[in-house]
Amino acid sequence: MSGTSTEYLLLLTAVTAGVTFLLRALPFLFFGTGKRPPALVLSIGNVLSPAAIAMLVVYCFTCYVRDRAPADHMFGLAEIAAAVVVVSLQLWKRNPLLSILAGTAVYMTLVQTVVP
Amino acid sequence: MNQKPVLKQAFVSSLPVLMGYSTMGFAAGVLLAAKSGVRLPALWAFLTSATSISGALQFMLVDWIRTAQPMLDVVLLTVCLNIRYSMYGLSLIERFRGLPLAKKLYLIWSLTDETYALEVENKVPPGGDSILYCLTLAALNHCYWIFGVVSGAFAGAALPFPNKGIDFAMTALFLVILTDQCRERKNRVYAAVGLLASVVCALIFGAGKMLIPSMVLMLSALIVFRKPFGRLETWKPGAGS
Repeated sequence: MSGTSTEYLLLLTAVTAGVTFLLRALPFLFFGTGKRPPALVLSIGNVLSPAAIAMLVVYCFTCYVRDRAPADHMFGLAEIAAAVVVVSLQLWKRNPLLSILAGTAVYMTLVQTVVP
Repeated sequence: MNQKPVLKQAFVSSLPVLMGYSTMGFAAGVLLAAKSGVRLPALWAFLTSATSISGALQFMLVDWIRTAQPMLDVVLLTVCLNIRYSMYGLSLIERFRGLPLAKKLYLIWSLTDETYALEVENKVPPGGDSILYCLTLAALNHCYWIFGVVSGAFAGAALPFPNKGIDFAMTALFLVILTDQCRERKNRVYAAVGLLASVVCALIFGAGKMLIPSMVLMLSALIVFRKPFGRLETWKPGAGS
């Protein structure tokens, strides 16, 4: 199946929208009647998000190294430099848009000029 | 009573979201047009942004379309990205109780990070209808997001530019979310758990196959060690135990 076949795109749209809606609806489905959620669900629910986002960061970085030898991407130098820019700016200015734009600009400049 | 002040306040409250969504959506739209290889990017930008209304997901979709990611991965990744949404409803159950089904479904469907924050803040004028306020906010934010993504897709398709590396925007978005979460001391413990679990799984299973094992390892660790992790939340180096 080609990545851009209409069937795949329709399925992808439906699946992502459906799963996202279900997640949003979960508390209303289970606890809409006034029951308190079980303690385990609440405690895992509260801590899962930072763990999952950290995992996604690692996943993104592995995607950059996936198909290339370490020397070909300067041992991740561009990725690390851009990530440092993003995190420092966010810690300093607390402006998500600024951090993302600046980090992406640094990364694009590096991969288009310095790093082959 | 006259509900005009409610509509006005909803619009005023939504203005910061207009700034955020139109620019962030624009970036996601440009990325979709530039990197996904899809024909008619504006159409798919519209369909995906209108149905999911999820920022991080909108960025991830580009990669999934380009690589025809298997559906099981798509489901798991969507759960990872958006699991936080499943906590939001808990604070809105009471307010949304007894609403007509269509209104309730729309309010749930449109529950993004920003819309949730504004609905919880609930700056409805005295005597105003809180549900009308929430519905107006939700619909406005929904429109801003669609507008941002679709206009980005048009721009990206119309003006090709040297876009190598633009996909870092998604990594940057996750880094921003993680940075903000780690301002809270207790979240650092769990971010470290996710980090360790996924690095271990990336080394063992390889970059392409790390996601499912990472999720399993992470969840098991969070459940099995929830008590020690709980103690770590308040642990300070050098303070003794």
